[in-house]
Amino acid sequence: MPEVGKIDSKQAILLMVIMVLPTGFLFVAAVTAHLARQDGWISILLATLVALLIAWLAVSLGLRFPGKTLFQFAEVILGRWPGKVVAFLYIWWYIHMNAEVLRQYGSLLVAAFMPETPISVFMLLIMAIAAYAVRNGLEVFSRVNQLILPLILVSVVILNILAAPEMNIKQILPVFEHGAVPVVKGAVMPAAWIGEIITMTVLIPYLNKAKEAYRIAVTATLITGFFMLITQLVDIAIFGPITAAWLFPGLDGVRMIHLANFLERLEPVVMVIWVAGVLVKISVFYWAAALGSAQWLELKDYKPLVLPVGVIIYALSIMAHDSLLDLFAFLGMFWGPYALTLFIVGIPLLLLIVAVIRGQGGSRH
Amino acid sequence: MRKLLACLALLIIMAGILSGCWSRKEMSELAIVLGAGIDRTPDGQVRLTLQLARPGALAGAGGEGAGAKEPTTWVISETGSTILDVQRKLAMRISRHINWTHNVIVVFGEEAARHGMRQYTNFFTRSPQTREITWILVAKGQAKDILETTSRLENSSAQDIGYLARAKAGYSVNFKDFKVMLATKGSNPIASRVEIVERGVSPGTEKEKSVKHEGAALTGTAVFREEKLVGWLDESETRGLLWLRGEILRGVITLPSLTDQGKEMSVEIMRGHTEVEPYYDGESVWFVVKIVVEGDLLEQQSSEDITERDVRKAIEKEISRKVEEKARLALEKAQGEYGVDIFDFGVAFHRKYPKIWPELEDRWDEVFAGAYVDFTVEAHLRRSGLIGKRGTER
Repeated sequence: MPEVGKIDSKQAILLMVIMVLPTGFLFVAAVTAHLARQDGWISILLATLVALLIAWLAVSLGLRFPGKTLFQFAEVILGRWPGKVVAFLYIWWYIHMNAEVLRQYGSLLVAAFMPETPISVFMLLIMAIAAYAVRNGLEVFSRVNQLILPLILVSVVILNILAAPEMNIKQILPVFEHGAVPVVKGAVMPAAWIGEIITMTVLIPYLNKAKEAYRIAVTATLITGFFMLITQLVDIAIFGPITAAWLFPGLDGVRMIHLANFLERLEPVVMVIWVAGVLVKISVFYWAAALGSAQWLELKDYKPLVLPVGVIIYALSIMAHDSLLDLFAFLGMFWGPYALTLFIVGIPLLLLIVAVIRGQGGSRH
Repeated sequence: MRKLLACLALLIIMAGILSGCWSRKEMSELAIVLGAGIDRTPDGQVRLTLQLARPGALAGAGGEGAGAKEPTTWVISETGSTILDVQRKLAMRISRHINWTHNVIVVFGEEAARHGMRQYTNFFTRSPQTREITWILVAKGQAKDILETTSRLENSSAQDIGYLARAKAGYSVNFKDFKVMLATKGSNPIASRVEIVERGVSPGTEKEKSVKHEGAALTGTAVFREEKLVGWLDESETRGLLWLRGEILRGVITLPSLTDQGKEMSVEIMRGHTEVEPYYDGESVWFVVKIVVEGDLLEQQSSEDITERDVRKAIEKEISRKVEEKARLALEKAQGEYGVDIFDFGVAFHRKYPKIWPELEDRWDEVFAGAYVDFTVEAHLRRSGLIGKRGTER
């Protein structure tokens, strides 16, 4: 088996949370407010419910094939070649998703903090660190995350409390002004976000207590959903009708903080959250892509693939979009439906149905 | 040996990366903008006025007063078609990088505000250097003149005005608030008015005479219809505006004495809140405004016995009357003279009647202008400073 590390349940929860939150914290409010306006928070609730089903789907699928990741059990379910195709699609998805995350990472730093620095500098540096983390294996970046994520969550809570004087919670009224359709539309992107919990299908073989996988997936989804909800409510309460105008509402919310004449300009905290959080987030997807490639090629070790996969991610990330606006248009309009229908719900559901019909895999152990 | 070399290589690389930022700019290379002014020239161009800090002079000003003769700011202006265009032109006249991150206020000239604010505010919310918490003010006259004033107490007039805005004596509006008000249907933006007034005297020394000082101060509120300035509220009407919008209410209510002709007393407002309840019966719209105010009696020229319950009740009634009077003043001006809803009544209506709102939202200001408003003011006299009944008996 290419990866030999094992992580415990707590580490797994934290890993599944950071896989979603850093980008969610900064972007989610604008995406949902664009479609659902002040009802964006209902969209998040809806998305969290959907993500709970996805979590159930992922774990049910994963537990049927103990010791095997998605890249391996696809072959067991569908047969060798169709399975290879599905596994390949997932490798592509992880690479593509990571390229988008990497581009978002660089875009924010350039747009908001260091406009004169070439974006490639930020992207190369974080990829180099992520590559090092991935080479060292799952255990290593899980432990790093154990250190980072609690700090991020505490910072987010403190920042939200400090921004309280700027909030007017009445701005979430009236509820359901334009009916349920915009709310559902607004839920697509967050559902794709929180639905990244589907990565449990890759992670389960490396849990030291696989039995707890359900608990891990559900807890992680709830934590993620909760923080997304808070972020959404805070941003709507601060910005009301102009929430959707910001590219990074989470950042602008923090820029609003000004207390007692000296406690202001706290956006370096956002930068810390962003850099540290995205590093782990990228590492998780990077690891999944490298591991998947190794299992697809049936190699003994994934380490030789770390560098090539990283180069592909980086190159794709540079080539995919010519501007920040292009990136956001793509993520806002296309990414949600694409990721959700194919990779998060479609294929896993198909695999589960086929596995149940064919009676493959042990039910649970 | 290889390991040692690798470590050494790593150290050298890290020294290169970690030592500093890519686009590092030292303090001494920055021209820090403290306040900016936007005027519209007669031919439709933007005139940008920047008040820049002179850090050298600032350092001197902190020491003994005697040496601080040098002005602490430098004001420069230029015209162009967009703000960024002007900034580029100014960059050729300013030896340092123009840095917006510490900007406190942006003053809009009357002409610019009458013409429409949207085209000018965009830069300030789009640029990553400027902040949404920067105060927006509208000058009676030219913004340039406001920025060319000095302050006797603060290092610059921009900071001076910024502190006044922060103290929320009037209705202070920052870029975020302004944008929200502009984007909300059923709400029209407002901003503080800034004007040059006489502000105290600098006492003379043995050699020099004392000098009357003119400075910029907040003197009321600018009223907009959508993005265009339509008129002003004076200081007294601004008090009414604050009551109607239920903003943090500080200040003093002065009322005539109950017994002594020509004498008055003052109550300091400690807290208060406002609820606006809209009603709709299918044809007409009306509002019930409930204001609760709590205050302490801190000055009494007259000598009624405030330890008596009936007297206190009568004073409370008088406070209510005064508050309603102020609120009506602002309301009448907004309804009658300008015909714009600047009290967020439309927002309250929208929240209560989301189904009916779409019919009214496009002609809301009209509906608002014709709406009947009922006031119920509840006043509480909580304390009376350190004195109860005045010790007037001999």
